[in-house]
Amino acid sequence: MRALRRFLNRVINLARRREQDERLREEIEEHIALQATENLRTGLSPVEARRQAMLKFGGVEAMKQDYRAERGLLFIENLLGDLRNAGRTIRRMPGLAAVIIVSLAIGIGVNTTIFSWIQMILFQPLPGVSGASNFLLVEPRTETGGYPGASWLEYRALRTQVPALRDIVAFQVVPFNVGETGQTERTFGQLVSGNYFSALGLKPAIGRFIRPEEAERPGTEPVIVISYDFWQTRFGGAPGVVGQKLRVNERDLIVIGVAPREFQGTMLPLKFELWAPATLAPALLGGTRDLEDRSIRAFSLIGMLRAGATREEAQAELSTAMAQLARDYPEASAGIGGEILPFWSAPRGPQRMLISGLAILQGVMLLLLLAVCGNTANLMLARGSTRQREMAVRVALGAGRWRIVSLVLSENMLLALLGTSLGAAIAVWGTMALRVAPMIGAFPIRFQTRVDELTLSLAILLGAACGLIFSAAPAVHLARLDPQDGLRSSSNTPPRSRARKVLMGVEVGLAMVVLIAAALFLQSFRSARQTDPRFRPEGVLLAAYDLSGRNPDEASEREFAARLLERLRSLPDVEAAAIATNVPLDLHGIPARSFTVQGRVRTEAGQDITISNTVTPGYFKVMAIPLLEGNDFAEMGDRAAPAQAIVNEEFVRLYLNGADAIGRRLQTSEGSFAIIGVARNAVYNAFGEPAQPAVYFSYRDLPAIQGEIHLRTRGGNETALTSEARAVLRDLDPMLPLYDVRTFSQHIERNLYLRRIPARMFVVLGPLLLGLAAIGIYAVVSYAVARRTREIGVRLAFGATSGRVVLQIIRENLGAITWGTAIGWALALVISVRAITKGVINLPVFIGVPAILLGVATLACWIPARRASRIDPMAALRHE
Amino acid sequence: MVLKTLDVLGPLHGYGIARRIEQISGDLLAVNQGTLYPVLLKLEQEGAIASEWGASENNRRARFYRLTREGRKQLQVETQDWEQTAAIIARFFEVKTEDLP
Repeated sequence: MRALRRFLNRVINLARRREQDERLREEIEEHIALQATENLRTGLSPVEARRQAMLKFGGVEAMKQDYRAERGLLFIENLLGDLRNAGRTIRRMPGLAAVIIVSLAIGIGVNTTIFSWIQMILFQPLPGVSGASNFLLVEPRTETGGYPGASWLEYRALRTQVPALRDIVAFQVVPFNVGETGQTERTFGQLVSGNYFSALGLKPAIGRFIRPEEAERPGTEPVIVISYDFWQTRFGGAPGVVGQKLRVNERDLIVIGVAPREFQGTMLPLKFELWAPATLAPALLGGTRDLEDRSIRAFSLIGMLRAGATREEAQAELSTAMAQLARDYPEASAGIGGEILPFWSAPRGPQRMLISGLAILQGVMLLLLLAVCGNTANLMLARGSTRQREMAVRVALGAGRWRIVSLVLSENMLLALLGTSLGAAIAVWGTMALRVAPMIGAFPIRFQTRVDELTLSLAILLGAACGLIFSAAPAVHLARLDPQDGLRSSSNTPPRSRARKVLMGVEVGLAMVVLIAAALFLQSFRSARQTDPRFRPEGVLLAAYDLSGRNPDEASEREFAARLLERLRSLPDVEAAAIATNVPLDLHGIPARSFTVQGRVRTEAGQDITISNTVTPGYFKVMAIPLLEGNDFAEMGDRAAPAQAIVNEEFVRLYLNGADAIGRRLQTSEGSFAIIGVARNAVYNAFGEPAQPAVYFSYRDLPAIQGEIHLRTRGGNETALTSEARAVLRDLDPMLPLYDVRTFSQHIERNLYLRRIPARMFVVLGPLLLGLAAIGIYAVVSYAVARRTREIGVRLAFGATSGRVVLQIIRENLGAITWGTAIGWALALVISVRAITKGVINLPVFIGVPAILLGVATLACWIPARRASRIDPMAALRHE
Repeated sequence: MVLKTLDVLGPLHGYGIARRIEQISGDLLAVNQGTLYPVLLKLEQEGAIASEWGASENNRRARFYRLTREGRKQLQVETQDWEQTAAIIARFFEVKTEDLP
C-alpha cells in the first residue's frame, strides 16, 4: 500500500519536475540561512558562518541526485533525457541518419506493402464483404486432381446436402455486351444464385438485390444489379437508375439495385460490373443448357461455415453428397468427388498464382530488411568506435553500464522509429499504387489493398525488431568499454573491428542470398517467356466476335463463320485465317471435357478427361502446329463428311498407349467423332506445364455463338490487319462489334501480367540491395581507414607506395567479404538445388551474381583505401 | 527518528528537524544535514508526513513538516518493533556464560 502510494506520487512528480526542483532549492537555501544565523550567534563572522553552514549541510549536488531519485521515476526521466540526447546526436549526423532512415524505411515499406497484399488475399478476399475470410470454396474434384467447377443442378443438390455450410452461393463469370445493337460495350458480370447477395451480407447502395425466387426457375423476371462504378460512369450516379432498362446481350433487363461501392464480385482481383440471376443464363447466353445439363460445369460455389460447424464436417458432408450424385447421375458425375478449400487457394482465377509469388517475395524482402539491419548495425558500430571517448567520459563520471546501453538503445530506437514512420508512409503510398486498376486481358481488375491496423502493427513490429537488432552490437561494444582505456587511447589506435567485419560478412552473405534468389526468379520468369510454346504466336492477330443476342441457330452460326473466314482469307495480307472457341494461355484456362474413345477400356470407375478446343480448318496452319498424321478438318461447307476430331500426341500416348489413332471413334456428350489426325503437343494453359492430352473438334460440327478470330499475317506487322478485319466484319454485319483485338504476343504478355509484378519488384530491389551492401562496406572501411591515418602515414613515410597501402587495406577487408559471399553462395545453392530448380544449377546466375557482388565490394573498399593512401605523411603524423 | 521528532515537537521545518536530531543524539549523529531531505521526501510520498509552506523564525518562507494520522500509526508500529528488537538484544547482553544451564 505504502509502496503503491509512493509510486503514484512519483508518477505525478514526473510532470512537476521543475516546480519540485524549485521547492528543494528554496528549502536548502532556508536551511543554510537558518544554520548560518545560528552560527552567527556563536560569534563567527558572517562569511565563516555561512561556510560552516554549508559544510555541515554536505554535498548539495549528491544530495539533489538522491532527492531526485527518491522523488520521481528515474528510469523514465533518464529515458526522456536519452531521447533528447538521441535527437541531438542524430541531428549532428544528418547524412548517416538519412542513409539509415531511408534504407530502413524502404525495407519496412516494401515488406508492409507486400504484407498488405497478402493479407488482403487471405483475409479480405471479397472486398466489401465483412468476414470474407470465413468463406470456403466448395469444389467438385476429379480423380486426376482437376477442379472442373459445378453444374447448376449439382449446386441445387449441394445447397441442401451440406448443412455444415450456412448458405452456399453459386456464380459464373460471363462476358456481357451492354448497350444498343451496334454500340455495345463489353463488360464482365456474374450470373449468380438467388441467395448471392443475402449470403454475402451485402446492403445495396440503392434499390434492392436479386430475390431468391428470381433465380428459382428459368425464364424469371429479367432483372440486373449493377456495380457502384458502373452506376457512376454509365448513369452519372443518378438515383433514378432503379427501374431503368439496360440492354444486355440484346435483352432488356431492368436495373433493380446498385451494389455497395467496395464490392467487386467474388473472384479476386477481377472486377465485375453486373450481376444477373443465374436463371437468365439461357436468355443471355443464347440458349445455353447450363441450367439443365449436368455435364456443363460452369459455376463456382462458396459458402460460410455454420456457427459451431467445422471444416471437417463440411468436407464429410460434401463427400457423401458427391458420392450420392455420382451414383444417381453416373454419366455426368461418376468419379467426381468434392473438396472444401480456403478461398485464397481458388483453383480458378488468379488468387493462387498471386499468393505463391507474393509469399516468395515477402520472404526475400524480409531477408533484405535483415540486411538493412546488418548494414545499420555496422554503421552504428563504426560511429560508435569514434564515440568511445565520449562514452568513456560518461562511464568515468559515474554512468552505469545500463545507462550507456540505454543511451545507445534510445538513439537507435529513435532512428528505427523515424524509419518506421517513413516506411509506413511508403506502404500507404505503395498500397495506393496497387489500387490503380490495370487490366488483365479484357478483364478489369482492382486491388483494394489498404494499410490497416494489422499491417501497421506489422510495420511497427518490424521497426522495433530492427531497432533492437542493430542496437545490440554497438550497445554491447560500448558498454564493455573500460573507461581508462577509452580515455587514454586517442583515436589513432586501430579499433577492435572484428565485430564489424563479421557483420560486414553477414550482410554481404545475406545480399548474396537475396540477389541470387532475385536472379533465379527473373531467370525463371524470362525462361518462361522464352519457352517454346510449340506453336508460333508471332505474326498472329486475335480478335473476338459474339453473336449472342442474335439468337442464331447452329446453321447460321456455321454459315457466319464460313463467310467470315472466306472474306478474311481473301485479304492480301492474310496468309491464313481460322476461328476457334478458345485461345491457349488464357487466364481462365481452356475447358476440359469427358469422353470415351474406342479401344480404351477404363479399368477403374470414373471418366477420362481432356482439354478440348473447337477450331475451323486452317487452325493448325495459323498456329503453326504441325499435323503428325492424317489431315486437317473438312471444309466448313462440306456436308458429307462425318463428324471429325483431331487429337494430340499426348492423347495418343496416354489413352491409346501409342497405338494408331486414325479412324477410331471418340464419344462425348455431344456425339460421336471420327479421329482423322494427330497434332503435335502444344502449350495450352501455362508455360512449363507438363504435356496435356487435347482434342480439337471442328467448328463445322460444333458451331459456337462466339469465336476468336486467328489471323496469320503474310510477313509484316500483324496489327496492320486490325482495320481490315474490322472492315470485313462490318461488311458482314454492320451492327456486330469486333472486340478484344490483340496480337498473340500481347495476349501472352497479359497472361504473364501477374507474374511480372514480383519480377519487376526484383528488378528494382536487386540493385537497391547491392547499393546498400556497398554503402555498408564503404562505411566500415572508411571508418577503419580514418582511424588508422597515423599508421598509414608512418608506412608512407617509411617508403611504402600508395598502391601497396591500398592493396593491403583491400586485402584485409575482402577477407570477411569473401567469407560472407562464400557462405551466402553455399546457402543459396543448397536452397536452390533442394527447393527451386530441383537439382539443376543455374550456372550463369551462380557465377555472375558473386562476381558482380565481389566487384562492387572491392570498389567500395577501394575508394576509401585510395583516399587514405593519398594523404600526406607529414600531415598524417601531425594528426591530433 | 524524524517521525518521533515531529511527534514530540509538532510541525517543524527541515532545519529544525536536523537540529533536534543533533541535540538529542548529543551531536553523536552529526551526519551531513543534506541527507535529511531525501528521507523527508520519501516519508512524505509514503504519506507518513505532510508538508506545507509557512514562515520560519526569521520570517522567511520555509517548508513545515507535520505528522499525519498514518504517520502516527507507523510510528507506533515502529516503536513497538524497535522496543521488541531492543529488548531481545538487551537480553543477549544480559545473559552471562554461567547463567546458561
